[in-house]
Amino acid sequence: MNALQKSLKTAAIAIAIASVSGFAAAAERGITDTSIKIGNIGPFSGKAAMFNPLNYGSVAYMRYVNDMGGVFGRKFDVVLGDTACAQAKGIAAAKKMIYDEKVFMITVNPCSGVAMAIKPTLVKEGMPWSGVSANPKITGSVGSGGTSAPPKYMFHVTPNGYFSGMTMGKFIMTKPNTKKIAIVAHTNDWARGYCDPAIDYIESQGAEVVLDTAMERGSTDATAQVLQIKTKGVDGVLGCLYQPELVVLLKAAHKYKLNTPIIGALGADFGQVVQQVGNAKAVNGVFFQGHLYKDKIGSPALEWGKQILLKYLTKDELPKTGDPTHFYYFGLFNGIGVVEGFRRAGRDLTRDTYIKAIETLSDYDNNISAGRVTITPQQHVGVSDMYFNGLDKDGNEVIFSSWGKALH
Amino acid sequence: MIEQIQSVLTNWDAMLPVLPQLVVSGIAIGMLYALIALSMTILYRATTVVNFGHGDLVMLGAYALFILMPMVTFNIAVESSALGLLASFVPPFLVALILSLFVLFAMGYIIHRVFIWPILKGPHLSLALMAIAIGYAVRGVIRKEYGKEVLQMPRPFPEQEFEVFNWGGIGTYMTLDEMIFCGVVIVMLLVSYIVFSKTRFGQIVQAMFQTQRGSSLVGINVMHYNNLIWGVGCSLGALGGVMLGLALALDPDVGVWTLLRGFAAMTLGGFGSLYGAVIGGLIIGILEKVLGVFISTAFIEITCYLVIILVLLIRPKGLFGQHATLRI
Repeated sequence: MNALQKSLKTAAIAIAIASVSGFAAAAERGITDTSIKIGNIGPFSGKAAMFNPLNYGSVAYMRYVNDMGGVFGRKFDVVLGDTACAQAKGIAAAKKMIYDEKVFMITVNPCSGVAMAIKPTLVKEGMPWSGVSANPKITGSVGSGGTSAPPKYMFHVTPNGYFSGMTMGKFIMTKPNTKKIAIVAHTNDWARGYCDPAIDYIESQGAEVVLDTAMERGSTDATAQVLQIKTKGVDGVLGCLYQPELVVLLKAAHKYKLNTPIIGALGADFGQVVQQVGNAKAVNGVFFQGHLYKDKIGSPALEWGKQILLKYLTKDELPKTGDPTHFYYFGLFNGIGVVEGFRRAGRDLTRDTYIKAIETLSDYDNNISAGRVTITPQQHVGVSDMYFNGLDKDGNEVIFSSWGKALH
Repeated sequence: MIEQIQSVLTNWDAMLPVLPQLVVSGIAIGMLYALIALSMTILYRATTVVNFGHGDLVMLGAYALFILMPMVTFNIAVESSALGLLASFVPPFLVALILSLFVLFAMGYIIHRVFIWPILKGPHLSLALMAIAIGYAVRGVIRKEYGKEVLQMPRPFPEQEFEVFNWGGIGTYMTLDEMIFCGVVIVMLLVSYIVFSKTRFGQIVQAMFQTQRGSSLVGINVMHYNNLIWGVGCSLGALGGVMLGLALALDPDVGVWTLLRGFAAMTLGGFGSLYGAVIGGLIIGILEKVLGVFISTAFIEITCYLVIILVLLIRPKGLFGQHATLRI
């Protein structure tokens, strides 16, 4: 073989290697020079459809980023997929995103049951996932509700149920002389994802959970639960309930003169709950709920978020009242974290570079949440803290950092 | 569950005073079940069809009022409009309520005429599936339009509660809503009793219940009366939906819950019996509350299923039912 032949052979190998590597880069699913394909799945139909504003909040933020020119020249191509909050439909939606739509990542997915059902497929396919489902088993590791290392490609840029439940427990335990707590919860993964960490925390502080009673979805009356609580003489109640049932519990608590603080989980919109209870005496100084954001919804500090939601969502995607609710901001919160990962990953985007970039989020101020975002290779749940909403005796909304301690 | 029973037995003295409250609350919610069961029974009495989509029509009644209320309020502002004129005599909520009952009457009439009547002589399973399919379709449409948020029905009066009884310092309370529910159901039961037992219309319905073919042979326009009865049944169900909407937030899925309670009350009371439906509703309401507190809150949701199983096993015709061919 002469020198020329050697050179040609070397060049051919080099071209082949370059082609293969170039092809590999170009073949990263869901990525082109001008676009990033994102699968956004959630309950667009079905009985959990009230949670799809979480999906739309993220959509709004990505449309906003697109309007600003995208990330490194790439714009988000968001494909919506309906899970109906049902595991079988969720698996079908996830598979459609992975195999038909060939998305780069899947996001939002508010339903814990669906997240747990699609997790094996996502892990097998190495599909990045950033969700808002509460169940600590989804992304939790030691210290965030799990028992091992977090799944490599799955993360929360928001709190998971473990931290949300823990803060519910912390909040009630800052109330002086709290010794006995009652729990009212749905019998599903979501509710236990909140209440179990709360119970662990309460018991670790020497207090006792004297009642852990069920309230099923669709319940229209909480007489039995409230009368059970009354006979136990508790200092506080944690309600790991969705919005309609939380409203029912608050109404019954007022009717039967329970006179005990009730702390709601994140499955309800604070403002709507207050409105739907429709009785100031039943909520003022009684009802408190986890609050993810750095200030009140509707406050000047979050006005930028409201403007994005109003500008980038259609009339059909917004509530009938036109005013975005808590769940829209929750979706925005997720969207900001997801997009920040793309900004940090740079132009040479692969799934691995994306996850590495997400894992550089450290004390990241997203300008929306109560707690800052930190994700590490050992910890894939970004936020561990939140505030609490409540109403003072005059009915004014107050954000509390602990019992009786207003933020402003 | 065993722990809960032991706890109740240990603390019997503390638990006993809550019993009157459980009975009162059970009666109040039972009245709602009774109204739903009554509307299903009326439908069944005429056509011997159990409408498995009835729960969704009950839900639609609540949404109809929610949708119509702003229209009424808007039209009131237009003084020359017919609604404006009507609203000068009666409160807007009542106008919207009457309109929503009328809308549901029309829906019931049309559903029977278009979807049920053509297959009425077909297999029973077809009727059941048709009713379920209509229910699902109604729920799907409402969910598509209003499923994104939990909505609240406008209230015609503020929520208030009253102490109706006191035992050893422990009060028994009733809300204004509950008192109104009870009043409405009692009135509806009386009206139904009079209509179905004292009027020519009731005699015709009774004849149709016994034999539709025979009724047709003696000149009764069976299709027309069936349409009317479906309209009345849906309208009555809508009234239950409005009452439910006042007590709760609006939810497209409330129909399933409603159907099960109504069906259980109807089964317990006896298919076709008007007062059986009411008694059945009351018993289920009280049972749910008592079992929920004294055994486990898990019983609140399963009481209706247990009632259906036990009644069908032990006394299939229910408490006051008559032997009749059941078309499901």
